Amino acid sequence: MSAAIVFGLSHLQAMLLFALVISIAFGFLSRRQPIERIKYIVWLLFLFLLIGVGIGWAMYPFSR
Amino acid sequence: MTDEIAAPPAPRADSRSEAFALGIAVAGWIVPGLGHALLKMWGRALACFLTVGLLVFFGAGMRGNVFTSSGNDAFDTLGYLADLGAGSFYFVARSLESNGPDVSRADGDYGTRFLAAAGVLNLLAALHAYEAARGRKA
Repeated sequence: MSAAIVFGLSHLQAMLLFALVISIAFGFLSRRQPIERIKYIVWLLFLFLLIGVGIGWAMYPFSR
Repeated sequence: MTDEIAAPPAPRADSRSEAFALGIAVAGWIVPGLGHALLKMWGRALACFLTVGLLVFFGAGMRGNVFTSSGNDAFDTLGYLADLGAGSFYFVARSLESNGPDVSRADGDYGTRFLAAAGVLNLLAALHAYEAARGRKA
């Protein structure tokens, strides 16, 4: 009997999930106050997405 | 002047607290979040458990490569060390991935990174708990 769970995520979904989870972990580990945590999580998430999408576009000219 | 002479070190208490901090770190490595839970840092404990658990769950679900000790090269060994960082969740990943890895698709490749990130994140959390137990971090 196989009970394997298989997910099919797109590149963007995988990046969003990864960025969100890591941002939450870093926010909780490095900040104490709830407001500070939320601000840090949002800021990290923004930077993850900005840099991820930025690197994606930077590679675009070399994709063909 | 006399204060400098009259301040003897307390090696017994230091070694005890060091052993306690090491125990916290090992507990945090074996079960993600347990180190912080033992220090009554409930929010951080829950966050570590859930984030490492989610990365392992999705990484295994995306059929990422769960490295074993029988790797062929240095990258396999590094991947194995990173995966081992997840502690007991390494075995959860192996049990979840009953169909084996499939890195021929992008999903599987992402899954491999998710699993390695889970391990490294858990090691970071265990190190944080260790420092907190030593009184260096709030």
